[in-house]
Amino acid sequence: MELYITGTGIVSGAGNTGDDGFLKQEPSYHADKLLCVEPNYTAYIPPMQLRRMSKAVRIGIGASKMAMASAGIEKPDAIAVGTAMGCLADTEVFLGKMIAQDEQMLTPTAFIQSTHNTVSGQIALLAGCYGHNHTYVQRGHSFEHAIINTQLYLTENSNQQMLVGGIDELTDGSLAALQIGGINRKENSTPADVLNGNHTGCIAGEGAAFFTVTNTKPAQRAVCIKDVYAFTEKDVTKAANKIDNYVSAIHIHADAVILGLNGDEKSNAFYQFLQNSVFNQIPQYAFKQLCGEYATASAFALGMFASIIAKNEMLPSHSALNKEATELKNVLLINHYMHYYSCWWLQVV
Amino acid sequence: MKQRAYIVNTGIITAIGNNTPSCLDALLHSRTGIGEAEYLQTYWSKELPVAEVKASNASLAAMTDTNSLWPRTALLSAIAVKEAWQPFADKATGLRVGFFSATTVGGMDLTEQVYKTFKEDSNAADFDKIKNHECGAITELVANHFGISDFVTTISTACSSAANSIMMAAQMIGNGMLDIAIAGGADSLSRFTLNGFNTLMILDKQPCQPFDNNRRGLNLGEGAAYILLMSEKAMQQCGATASCMVSGYANANDAYHQTASSPDGTGNKLAMGNALKVANLQPADIDYINLHGTGTANNDSSEGKAIETLFGSNVPMASSTKAYTGHTLAAAGAVEAVFSVLSIQHGIVYPNLRWQTQMEDVGFMPVTTLQTGLDIRHVLSNSFGFGGNCSSLVFSKC
Repeated sequence: MELYITGTGIVSGAGNTGDDGFLKQEPSYHADKLLCVEPNYTAYIPPMQLRRMSKAVRIGIGASKMAMASAGIEKPDAIAVGTAMGCLADTEVFLGKMIAQDEQMLTPTAFIQSTHNTVSGQIALLAGCYGHNHTYVQRGHSFEHAIINTQLYLTENSNQQMLVGGIDELTDGSLAALQIGGINRKENSTPADVLNGNHTGCIAGEGAAFFTVTNTKPAQRAVCIKDVYAFTEKDVTKAANKIDNYVSAIHIHADAVILGLNGDEKSNAFYQFLQNSVFNQIPQYAFKQLCGEYATASAFALGMFASIIAKNEMLPSHSALNKEATELKNVLLINHYMHYYSCWWLQVV
Repeated sequence: MKQRAYIVNTGIITAIGNNTPSCLDALLHSRTGIGEAEYLQTYWSKELPVAEVKASNASLAAMTDTNSLWPRTALLSAIAVKEAWQPFADKATGLRVGFFSATTVGGMDLTEQVYKTFKEDSNAADFDKIKNHECGAITELVANHFGISDFVTTISTACSSAANSIMMAAQMIGNGMLDIAIAGGADSLSRFTLNGFNTLMILDKQPCQPFDNNRRGLNLGEGAAYILLMSEKAMQQCGATASCMVSGYANANDAYHQTASSPDGTGNKLAMGNALKVANLQPADIDYINLHGTGTANNDSSEGKAIETLFGSNVPMASSTKAYTGHTLAAAGAVEAVFSVLSIQHGIVYPNLRWQTQMEDVGFMPVTTLQTGLDIRHVLSNSFGFGGNCSSLVFSKC
């Protein structure tokens, strides 16, 4: 795989790429969720349309427009989106009314916007993009599969620009369900709880991160996705061993590793093994204290890295776990969401 | 050099049959599956006919030894996967097996039973009915049941979902990333989807009449279908034979409206034309088009016009099978892939049930009587959906 990131747009609980101060400040909160800090959309979305959009559509369109703007393109040739939960808010609106009104006197708007492919369809509609258009909904691998689709598409259609992104929105309903399910933490968290905690679940998050991607090397400095190793594994020890074996097999010297460490007792052993054994000599960074835990959070982490590389900066000091990197050439991004794991080999070219 | 993705088996459950032979028998004898809902509990059961699989969740679960507390979509999916995969499951040792499913409804059939309680007090609701709400959870349940883990994904592009899962599976076999793929989709009926489509005023209160001038809308259906794809190497190891292969695929976007098709079927044309290009075929090479043909005024008009633009005055035999199975949404592309495979295997073209009157804005008429004894070499199958998602597949005789 050789996919070059030419543009990045992020709307997240840690801010958005429309803001010059994005990622500059150390996070500070005591909360049970990190909701998106949304940009001023006037440059990206006509106000009439903006009013009708749910948050999922809004942040998805906003992030995709920012990615395209940073790449200097107005419309992509193809689109792939990963979203575990889809357009939840509109789903709940329609579901709630359907039950309350005993299936009668319903209006279509929320239903129309509830389908999982609404974001990818709306991006195509706004940009006038008639190309390939895909939506993946495989839980913690939704974004990873959109990336694999990008690779498949660009293999058959070289030299094109594909837009790929990960998006999930949090609603009151999903927060309650994810807390009962032990994925998100019921009690309030601080950034330290995410980095050093040993709790049930992690602070809830949401966000959209989009990328314009091509398979030909761009002239400017860029992040190349060399490989994505995605697997599911119920046993955290076996998962850690799989990562260890993979890292040995690709045979690189990593300049830094970015970890989806989340302070959840269920996954702490996985990250402890990576931190203390596999990567103990290597600068380690974390990102879920910034964006919270959600199924497509790996898109945020990829976006964080791609956006700092595009600006010739280093990874933010406040996200360093042991020591800071002095050079960023080969970087590994390792994430988990429930029993879904991914290990990304990223190279700055 | 791309490897070919051969179709070595099929699995299906719809309102017209619980497996491939029973669905074929219904198609050969013009038996429709559309009627009154018996298992879906809805205010609209007397008014809105549906193509329901006539079995309770407990009976569906018993067919594959799964759990009747699973969402119905997962139960249907497991039945169709079992039919396609079981004959080869113990022969595939060492081969990389992928499972590509598709769904739009996920676990909604259970969520909608407890959502009211959940909203009032989230801890009071039966969490077992919510925990598999996600679309990906459905695929995960079925993949785990059959022990498939090399690559497992779910696609949700509305009514084109299963066509896209078949497309991606063919690409991954083509690129040598997998040896075997079980590819298709599943959707059960739910009150959520029935009411959603009802608000759009595109549901027919009678059995639907696709491509008829007096068509009134679509009937929703439920079901699951998968085709089993193998590389040549996997076929040799599994002792499998193939009658046909996935030769072409394309995914395009209509970029016109969130739910409606453009009047001239821009996305439809692109999908069909690009699928022919990938298959390296000319329009004249297509022997049969399995139409998306939902029975809505909008779809059939756009699809018909796009076909006429692409095929000119030489439109091949064409029919919609949704008058048998209803519109099975995320399963539709796979249900119709199975029917396309059967068309090639048996040299048959299915009648477009209940067709009476020629459309005014489309010149060609669908096939209305069963055609047999044909040499069907190439079938084009269309799946178009909300969000402008348009996909076409080409199946070719080996």
